[in-house]
Amino acid sequence: MKRIAFALLTVCAPAGLAAEESPAPAPSGSEKSGAPPVSHAAMGHHPPPACAEAKVDCAATAVPAFAKDGRLWVAFSVGKTVYAVASSDNGKTFSAPTAIAAVADGVIDAHGDARPKIMALNDGSLLATYTTRPDKQMIGTIFTARSTDGGKTFSTPQPLLTEGGQRFDTIVTNRKGRIYAGWLDKTHALKAKAEGKEFLGSGVAFAYSDDGGKTFKGKSILIDHACECCRMSGALDKDGTPVFAWRQVLDGNIRDHMVAKLSADATQATAARVSDDDWSINSCPHHGPSIAIDASGAWHVVWFTKGKKRQGLFYARSVDEGKSFSEPEKFGDDARAPGHPTLLAAKGRLYRVWKEFDGTTTTIAMQMSHDNGKDWSAPRVIAQTSDASDHPELIAHKGAAYLSWLTHKEGYRLLPLPRDEKSAAASR
Amino acid sequence: MRLFSLALAITLVASGAAAFDFKPYGRGAFSQLTKTHAGKPLIVHFWSVTCPACLAELPQWAKIAGEKKRIDIIFVNTDSDEDRARAQARIEKVGLSSADHYGFADDFVEKLYFEADSTWRGELPFTALVAPDGAVVTVTGAVDDPLIVEWLEKRAGK
Repeated sequence: MKRIAFALLTVCAPAGLAAEESPAPAPSGSEKSGAPPVSHAAMGHHPPPACAEAKVDCAATAVPAFAKDGRLWVAFSVGKTVYAVASSDNGKTFSAPTAIAAVADGVIDAHGDARPKIMALNDGSLLATYTTRPDKQMIGTIFTARSTDGGKTFSTPQPLLTEGGQRFDTIVTNRKGRIYAGWLDKTHALKAKAEGKEFLGSGVAFAYSDDGGKTFKGKSILIDHACECCRMSGALDKDGTPVFAWRQVLDGNIRDHMVAKLSADATQATAARVSDDDWSINSCPHHGPSIAIDASGAWHVVWFTKGKKRQGLFYARSVDEGKSFSEPEKFGDDARAPGHPTLLAAKGRLYRVWKEFDGTTTTIAMQMSHDNGKDWSAPRVIAQTSDASDHPELIAHKGAAYLSWLTHKEGYRLLPLPRDEKSAAASR
Repeated sequence: MRLFSLALAITLVASGAAAFDFKPYGRGAFSQLTKTHAGKPLIVHFWSVTCPACLAELPQWAKIAGEKKRIDIIFVNTDSDEDRARAQARIEKVGLSSADHYGFADDFVEKLYFEADSTWRGELPFTALVAPDGAVVTVTGAVDDPLIVEWLEKRAGK
């Protein structure tokens, strides 16, 4: 649908025709006609337009959460509406969608690293977050909405902040029910711009909620100069406080990764560098890291870099709360453009998955570790597609680990991950 | 979205403004562009409104497009349709309306990246420098990258 609108614009505008005359046909070069473009005005082969129904399969991003009752919730957006759907059979079928919010003006941030999210809280309620941007400016507003009736309805979305600009929220909840939020905040950058000063990147901001996400306290920017176009990632440390990872803009426009453990009251965060990759680049990687913390309290981070010192996907761990990290360990096949790695800790096992692409097929490769990340199993392809796809997500429920992946051709998939090499071999 | 696009098309026609459009950039586009422009130096510059570095240097690209007449320059906006109006506003602001503009028209972005450079994973700005014989050099990062500067000096034929 989106693509049809786009084609109409390109067809109508140059021709100077009144647009309401007759519905313009689908663009030349659509999959069904198979015809080459009439002129070089339209370059390349175009797939059929994506669907516009309120279904997860029509979305560009899908974020999962398991509720205590075993239902799988998925948050996504189609057009200008954010939805949640539930599944009682691990993603095979879904309930009718619940609209969380319809955005009258602007754009919902649901592309690549930016995505609507949902969390299932310990008390059975659901907390959804999403970001909107006005049509004319690149300044986001993060909204939260809650459901206390099992996802039948959501509260009127509340902006986390009404000034400045916020994107890339990450929510981490501890066992006592305190909800920590981290996000990238443009407020200091906008202030500097207004004063004619240079300011690289965004701030890293935090807050917490003790009322299930109704209100957030202690909202403040604790660290400046995060890379503004890459997602943050968060995980819960064994003492119940969260640790966040993000890409920082260091002196010399070096875009390497940092982690910080937040104090329980969200007032202090001391950043530490994960790795000196020396990626000095005036660009937006659009490619954020992922952090997981295992039961022993070891921090594990995966990331993408094209630094002077190393290029590709890397993994490192810290057993001293970020004071030091292990030597970055490369993974992924460089011949297949590996990207968008993510990590999960589940019951003594660590999983890492990432995307690879060979020019035709996108695959999700997986490795697991049974010794807190010291050794990893041989990479195994666990899913693939030959068209557009979302970044992979990992989720755990009752000790089991799953890959959550939305692809254009196959739709939404929740795939259980093997517990060990033996069961992995048996499942093939 | 459809109504919005229609409204925009009508507005453009009604206001008598120069017809502005992002031509669809889909699978196979990169090789088609290099074929179409074979025999001349070509720059394919990829950018997005979500990339502050891209927006900051867009005026420099406008300057290059105005000065380097011997080089064909194509701008490819990698945003989705929702951000295209914003992209158009940026282009108009820096005086690039008359340049050759394309917009990503396919969500299979890995494929579009791969076709320009098999190691590109979507970082922006991203520029492909295509020699008249089709040889491609790609650069991630700003327009003042030495590779771009050197290539421009060599090809501009001043």
